Amino acid sequence: MTETQVPPTPVAERCEGVAARVLRVALTERVVLLAVLLVVVVVWFRVLGDGGYLLAPYDVRYLGNALESMVPFALLAMAELFVIVSGRGGIDLSVGAIVSLAGMVFGLMVGVWGWPLVPAVVACIVTGALLGAVNGALVAYLRFPALIATLATYYAYSSIALVSNANAPISTPPVVALHGLTRNVDLPLLPPVPLHVFTILLPCALLAWVLLSRSTYGRSLYAVGTNDVAAGYATQRVARTRFSAYVISGLLSGVVALVTVAQFASARPDAGTVGNGMALPAITVAVLGGVAIQGGIGRVGGVLVAALLVTWLNAGMLLAFDGSEGSRYQLLALGLVLVLSALLNTLALRRYGRLS
Amino acid sequence: MTTTTVTAAPTVPRRRRAGVVEGQELALIGVVGVLWIVLSLVTDTFLTSGNIQNILFTVAPIALIGIGMTAVIVTAGIDVSVGSQVAVVMVVVALIVRDAGTPFLPALAIALVTGIVLGAINGLLVAYGGIHPIIVTFGTLNIYRFVALQIFGTEQVAGVPGTFSPIGGGAEGRLLGVPTAWWLTIVLAAAMWCYMRFWATGRHLYAVGGDVLAARLAGVRVRRRQISAYVLTGACVGLAGCVLIGSGGLVQQNVGSGLELQVIAAVVIGGTSIIGGRGTVLGTLLGALLVGTVTSAVTLLSWPSELTQLFIGLFILVAVGVDLLRERRRSAR
Repeated sequence: MTETQVPPTPVAERCEGVAARVLRVALTERVVLLAVLLVVVVVWFRVLGDGGYLLAPYDVRYLGNALESMVPFALLAMAELFVIVSGRGGIDLSVGAIVSLAGMVFGLMVGVWGWPLVPAVVACIVTGALLGAVNGALVAYLRFPALIATLATYYAYSSIALVSNANAPISTPPVVALHGLTRNVDLPLLPPVPLHVFTILLPCALLAWVLLSRSTYGRSLYAVGTNDVAAGYATQRVARTRFSAYVISGLLSGVVALVTVAQFASARPDAGTVGNGMALPAITVAVLGGVAIQGGIGRVGGVLVAALLVTWLNAGMLLAFDGSEGSRYQLLALGLVLVLSALLNTLALRRYGRLS
Repeated sequence: MTTTTVTAAPTVPRRRRAGVVEGQELALIGVVGVLWIVLSLVTDTFLTSGNIQNILFTVAPIALIGIGMTAVIVTAGIDVSVGSQVAVVMVVVALIVRDAGTPFLPALAIALVTGIVLGAINGLLVAYGGIHPIIVTFGTLNIYRFVALQIFGTEQVAGVPGTFSPIGGGAEGRLLGVPTAWWLTIVLAAAMWCYMRFWATGRHLYAVGGDVLAARLAGVRVRRRQISAYVLTGACVGLAGCVLIGSGGLVQQNVGSGLELQVIAAVVIGGTSIIGGRGTVLGTLLGALLVGTVTSAVTLLSWPSELTQLFIGLFILVAVGVDLLRERRRSAR
């Protein structure tokens, strides 16, 4: 960050060799690079599996099952995508806490107060959006630094979630019944895939893509994230656009709350904050997917492929090591992947002045 | 800081004459004072020497790391990996003390060196990698935790001897009735306060955080200052790790997890601007005291301990909000 921000000279694209061209595409088109890495990871683990180094076969059925853990991270990474793209140091540390709190609200509504499912689902998502709106108001209107505002709300939300049911999970029969929503479905020609990949992840991803890439709102968000002063002169409503990014982030966290309650068949007060929490992996996936932390850069496609890559890498590592060793190496991989992908982002921006 | 008029940069606003305590610090002293008075009136256990000693001792590691963190945040950086750094330092030192029987000073030196190495990795990545500090340290948070877990092996380290009891929480860890760890913190904080206020390179930390470009044009060695801030944090983590091992016993695998948030909370409550360029170690010390007081208060009033976090969150919002208001008034003038 210490370098003078000289506008990089564009590489003369006509007279470059094949190797330089491949490098340029790999660095600037993040989806291409990720797809290559994805193939490498899958092939590598297949080879390991054929050599008998894995505890269980790394086959299509296993990969299909692994998608279950991809759903929350892909959704939260999309939440981070909106927030980080909105610029001015945008980041949302509170997504995990929102997942916990909205999940507890949902658990109370369904499991304790006996609400019917549909109003409870709507209320859960609205709760998430409201909590996100608090972040948005702090950051966009009161101009708190995003890191601090969401750190504070992370504390507040996770505390309220823990206190809400005296630190106990809610797993009454109506909540347990929700587990059916995440069962595997059999598809023709394909391995069994968890149902909520189709009912939740894909629709959300499609909506996010339409919103970011095919709507005036998306153009406005990228403009605000790239340079909010310029966007202001161009008659964009800077504060409102940025505010809405945090609302969308909260809304997606509310959806993740539903998914986690259904997955665990229980509303846990620490669902999104246990251990390192959910925010960290989400930010990692977003950065890996080509979202630049400076704002204004990032696409849904990159984030989705990155989430898939991390999921299948993690799934493979669980098979490659005994016991807790696997989850340990997942930590290492997550950290290395985050730093290396950020280095790649910097390199691409410096060398070519653009990133997917 | 030499006056540069390169850009209309949001650097440290010119003051008539910098006092020893600034507005935010005075307010914090007031808040902590009022809290202490109220708590000693409401409960009969708060104002006992045992409880005060306990608060000071639990605050010491947070304040110690906060000293380094203040420097990092003043340079417009952040270090969220300190919790994992603490884990690495503690497991290394615990094993050395237990299995090799290393005495106090060599073990302390090893702790410091371990911390410095971890901090230097962060610093180099931030200064030369061109990566945003939060991304770098989020990454190393995971990597260092992995390193710590690898050293732990399969189980926690039990039966650590009391090599560090002179700076621990027990009776032999006190000097004039105050925990030695707290004395250490005060001495270090005072040294750091002087360094950041009077030394040229200390002032450069503010310059880097205020406006990197202007600082570089004014001849500040930006990268060196950045690296030095992270290295200092690492050294502070080394010391804090020894304090946390204290009188020995058990070192668990999840040690230090979540500590970074408490440290950052203390620094921010202390009035250090997260955007960089402003903040003092004195504020951090007070911020850490406030966090410790709130934690103790929640326990003594027998409220659910989970509420502590809610209060910390609210304090962060209030502290930063007040700061933003003052900033706005200052720039409006």
